[in-house]
Amino acid sequence: MAPEPLIEVRDLCKYFRTFHRREGIWGGIQNLFVRDYRMVKAVDNINFTIERGEMVGYIGPNGAGKSTTIKMLTGILVPSSGEIAVNGFVPYRQRRQYVNTIGVVFGQRTQLWWDIAVVESFKLLRRIYGVSQRDFDARMEQFNVILGIKDYLHTPVRKLSLGERMRCDLAAALLHNPPLLFLDEPTIGLDVVAKDHIRHFLHAINREFQTTVLLTTHDLDDIEELCRRIVIIDHGRLLYDGPLERLKRKLLRTKQVKFVLKDRAQADGVQIFSSDGLNLEQVDEMTYRIRFDPAQISTSDLIRQILATVEVRDLLIEDEPIEEIVKRIYAGEALREITA
Amino acid sequence: MSWRSIGIVYRKELIDSLRDRRTVISMIVIPVLAMPLLTVGIGYLSVSLIARARREVSRIMVLGGADSPGVVDALRGTEKIELAPESPDFATQLENKQIRAAVEIPPGFEAALKGSDSPTVTIFYYEDETRSDIAVERLNAFFNHLKGATVQQRLVAHDLPPGLAQPFEILSKNAVSPEKLFGNRFGAIIPYFIILLCMTGAMYPAMDLTAGEKERGTMETILCSPVPRTGLVIGKFLMVLTASLATAALALVSMAFSVVVVLQSKGVLDGPEGLRMAVHATSVFGVFAMILPIAMLMSLVMLTISLFAKSFREAQSYLSPMTIVVIFPAIFSMLPGVELNAKTALVPILNTSLVSKEILAGTFHWNYIVLIFASTCVYAALAMVAAVRMFNREEVLFRN
Repeated sequence: MAPEPLIEVRDLCKYFRTFHRREGIWGGIQNLFVRDYRMVKAVDNINFTIERGEMVGYIGPNGAGKSTTIKMLTGILVPSSGEIAVNGFVPYRQRRQYVNTIGVVFGQRTQLWWDIAVVESFKLLRRIYGVSQRDFDARMEQFNVILGIKDYLHTPVRKLSLGERMRCDLAAALLHNPPLLFLDEPTIGLDVVAKDHIRHFLHAINREFQTTVLLTTHDLDDIEELCRRIVIIDHGRLLYDGPLERLKRKLLRTKQVKFVLKDRAQADGVQIFSSDGLNLEQVDEMTYRIRFDPAQISTSDLIRQILATVEVRDLLIEDEPIEEIVKRIYAGEALREITA
Repeated sequence: MSWRSIGIVYRKELIDSLRDRRTVISMIVIPVLAMPLLTVGIGYLSVSLIARARREVSRIMVLGGADSPGVVDALRGTEKIELAPESPDFATQLENKQIRAAVEIPPGFEAALKGSDSPTVTIFYYEDETRSDIAVERLNAFFNHLKGATVQQRLVAHDLPPGLAQPFEILSKNAVSPEKLFGNRFGAIIPYFIILLCMTGAMYPAMDLTAGEKERGTMETILCSPVPRTGLVIGKFLMVLTASLATAALALVSMAFSVVVVLQSKGVLDGPEGLRMAVHATSVFGVFAMILPIAMLMSLVMLTISLFAKSFREAQSYLSPMTIVVIFPAIFSMLPGVELNAKTALVPILNTSLVSKEILAGTFHWNYIVLIFASTCVYAALAMVAAVRMFNREEVLFRN
């Protein structure tokens, strides 16, 4: 028997009425008296299910409808049509009981109160969610081990760095031990070390507590590091839902060879690879990257040619970065291939 | 909805607001420091400026009077009067404040005093100019004295008794209680101040707890919590109300304290001639009890309007006109002839101003008090319903 899905979304739609502003002075005067409203389909007939324990990346360009979906899934917005069932609840109808079973982190906002010490926010959230003091203490200890937040518990949120704040936000979202976590751009603006911390933490909670995670992001490294499955939406419509690997297999057009020259004298010889369907890029003084289509030239042939032309110290073969694939999907180039 | 969730929201907003420097400034610093400075300070300053003006000598020009040297000399010898040389441009000199008044003595004035004629002395002055008013006061005193002396001389000359021209004296004495005196003098202005303070105290938190929260993006996070929307509205409303009442109470206490300190330092409160005004504690509590529903109404209206705004700045532009809406009925209540009746008792703010005036004077019209309290509570309840509805409308919460 197939496992019962934790999130079930059927024919989900959300329309917004937006005010269309006319241009110019005359338009401005007209706007005051005759309002021109238009309907915008923020989410247009989306279907997907997510199983317990999955980590799913929900991606799309700006204005694609990611945050609107998250807001409907968290019960803040009411769908225009369609059905949502999460944890056995209809989020917007049974909001109060439902939100006890989810954790939400909005990367650009904080649920911790700006001017008060982090620990005070945690205490308030403990009261809001009715977490017992014993569970609270145990969880704080746990979060401290994985997230290392003890040092700034008594600092006001406004004085924390973005990375520190995000760790505290994650702890706050998980204080009531929800089985499901929604993350809206959790690594936005973070440096490499902070991003790594967050990803490590998400892996840990997914592994230890089977916490289901649905995350929206623009950072595709997040997806590669955390998710096996991705859902891509654009203009409110679902473009792809499936394993990341399958997407790569379907859309992987190019490969790349990255190599480091033995000395500077070799640099002139490299220019020979800037033609014949090859794309040569200089990464730094001694490092070059050649992007190529394996259908036109085999990887082994290219490597042989490189080694025959220049002396290299190191050489690496890579797939096309996921960013490039997604860029092509957003641009509409790869739409036919993935929907095929 | 439970009291627990309301309590949590209220506690959260209170902690947050007390740590926010801007709220503390608008709720505590401004009422405690600025209001006494504005009222008592400016009052004290104007009194001392007038006192200084009174100490100064008034420069006065005499027009004519060549054939009345006795009068001119007497005027010259009067304390705090200095005569300027006669000049045809006296009006320009008055405008330029080179002289404070000019007095025209008609030809043959002195001779006329000895006879039975009634010549006219004309005083030219700069209307509503303090130093000119003082000069006119001094000239009036001089000429009234001269008039009295002339009447006496005329009576004596006609062998008539001196009391003939003064058949009786008039003595005016205040017969109302010190409470009434206080109510009449300050009854209109004090409720106006309290209402205005309640509004300014509520304005900043109302904007911060709604539009400010939207702008910071923390509204979504609180909406994701198990706190019910009604609990959220009531919790936020209680915080705004607290700020509103605290601002008004602190300002009043601080003002009362400053008034007493200033008056005591001047010795005005001492002795039998002390300040003949009083106010009962019952009246003060009565006024605050009447202010409570109007503060609730204003807090809720401001909370609802600010929630509609996308940003703090937008909320400010929505709430600024509200100052006029609040001030207008409060000022209207101070106009002569505007009194408490069944109609005015139903107009919010105006009714509270009018009834507070009566309460401060020690008069309790219980029928109106009940009507005003109940009607304002009904308006506040309607505003609460509107606020809860607004908090449930996603096109308001997520307007962009």
